[in-house]
Amino acid sequence: MRISIKNVTKQFDRFPALGGVSLEIGSGELVALLGPSGSGKTTLLRSIAGLEHPSSGQILFDGEDVSNLSVGQRRIGFAFQSYALFRHMTVLNNVAFGLKVRPRKNRPSRAEIRKRATELLDLVQLGGLEERFPSQLSGGQRQRVALARALAIEPRVLLLDEPFGALDAKVRKELRRWLRQLHDRLGLTTIFVTHDQEEALELADRVVVMNKGEIEQAGTPVEVYDDPATAFVSEFLGTVNTFQTTLNDGIAEVLGTEFPVADADVGEGPQRRHGPAIAYVRTHEIELLSREHAVGIPAIVRAVFPFGGAIRVELAVEGYDMPIQVEVPRAFFEAGEVRVNSGLFVRATNARVFPQYN
Amino acid sequence: MANVFSRAPIGLRSAVNEGAITRVSLILTAVVFLALFLIMPLVLVFVEAFRQGVGAYLDALKEPDALSAMRLTVTVAVIAVPLNVLFGLAASWAIAKFQFRGKNLLISLIDLPFSVSPVISGLVWVLLFGSHAALSPWLQAHDIQILFALPGLVLATMFVTFPFVARELIPLMQEQGTTDEEAALSLGASGLQTFWHVTLPNVRWALVYGVLLCTARAIGEFGAVSVVSGHIRGKTNTMPLHVEILYNEYSFVGAFAVASVLALLALVTLGIKSILEWRYGNQLASGHRH
Repeated sequence: MRISIKNVTKQFDRFPALGGVSLEIGSGELVALLGPSGSGKTTLLRSIAGLEHPSSGQILFDGEDVSNLSVGQRRIGFAFQSYALFRHMTVLNNVAFGLKVRPRKNRPSRAEIRKRATELLDLVQLGGLEERFPSQLSGGQRQRVALARALAIEPRVLLLDEPFGALDAKVRKELRRWLRQLHDRLGLTTIFVTHDQEEALELADRVVVMNKGEIEQAGTPVEVYDDPATAFVSEFLGTVNTFQTTLNDGIAEVLGTEFPVADADVGEGPQRRHGPAIAYVRTHEIELLSREHAVGIPAIVRAVFPFGGAIRVELAVEGYDMPIQVEVPRAFFEAGEVRVNSGLFVRATNARVFPQYN
Repeated sequence: MANVFSRAPIGLRSAVNEGAITRVSLILTAVVFLALFLIMPLVLVFVEAFRQGVGAYLDALKEPDALSAMRLTVTVAVIAVPLNVLFGLAASWAIAKFQFRGKNLLISLIDLPFSVSPVISGLVWVLLFGSHAALSPWLQAHDIQILFALPGLVLATMFVTFPFVARELIPLMQEQGTTDEEAALSLGASGLQTFWHVTLPNVRWALVYGVLLCTARAIGEFGAVSVVSGHIRGKTNTMPLHVEILYNEYSFVGAFAVASVLALLALVTLGIKSILEWRYGNQLASGHRH
């Protein structure tokens, strides 16, 4: 199902949670709403579900305006961050709930309900746990029961609020992969909220980055990561170093290299070509050079974190107040030049420069 | 323990480091206090009730006025408790699951009977329905008797036991939040189905607990009921009032026999309450408060 969100706003007691959000979600898409807490991502998800009613704007499902429909009428599957399983019901009864509460004329027979619930539990790989109670399940199992319960009503769209938020890192990754497979198999339009960029980038077809109740950028994971449209997205995605710099005819100098101002087409006012600017450089976009090259800016290694395939190094750079973070390939580290207190040269290989307004 | 203490360096002494004498005397004081002020009176009630033998005890209970007092007490409780359960559920549901103006005022109002003297709780009904009240002519014209009759007793009892159910449910419902209800609604359940299948089962043990406390208080209430009862033997005397009358008439066996039934009810209540706290303590938001 296609979802159109048209200029939706939401006010909570004079505090704007959503300020005019518009978004098109294609049928069968897996979309992540990504942002820090308070960015309005959950409010947007709840507005699509009908758990929150926007102050203005429209929400359309396949072209039909559902703005005035209640959550029960919209036929959505919603999975809550806390799972919200009914603790006094068995797993089977939890999954069957949506079918059991149907008005008599649309309600399948008892045997049919049982069969459907059992099938769904098999789908989420929980066959055999029908008679357990939610308190007897692990977090990952509870989340899958919540999904099966949401799927039982044959929803037109699946909405997930921080689906992996309460799980430990390992289960999180497993469940993430599993959810992707489930999505591909069912072909159901799915929207999930997360504050975890890795989760959003790895799992989603499209990532919608939100901040302060507005959409900063919507695009494929590669687009938002490689081509951040705004200063916020640049800072939010990946591990970045932030530099204060100055634009001179659209060019700014960052760590010894000159970069043009980002050709952002968002934001108000014309692109500024002179004046203060902020540059964002990811940790892997800085080169470390040994002394004999003598290019770049001199720096001293302050700390080394030698774990994993890329080694994180912290350096103090001449002329910069804050230490910078750099990731270097393990081979470079093993060559032996990167040691605490050794002197090196740094050079930025890429940077995103945004003029600083205000 | 002594071993551990003697080996522990001075700086790491246990928090309980008083000498044996201090500890024993403190424990003894507590035990003596308990015995003197709680256990002895309870035992005395039964001793006095059986002073003239089991036969006299049973006769005192079989006495028509005593039987009538017990019936009346049960009748009042049977009417007042369900009404307060209904009110308590409605109020706590509204307070815990919705946002509205005047919520704090409502919570304070529910607590009012806790802070008002029971005598006042009785007196308000006298002022409202007594012979000098504005409503009085209308009530007389329609031959409705409220004071010195069952309706007055029920009203006074309801007023006094008003907060018990709501006070048990509100904190638990607030803690549980509204996501379970939202989940049920998103699955297509109606408001009533959601309340019946989700909200109510989530608070069932707290509700039982509240009903229990409410019932105990309804049965034992003296002050408020005393004001509206009129003390008509065999008609408007509840058990606590009957105990007082018998005692004032120097009918000690009768008084203590009826009192022993009240004490027994209290003990049963206490037993069920303890079982609930032990078995379902995690489902009672305020289990630790009582």
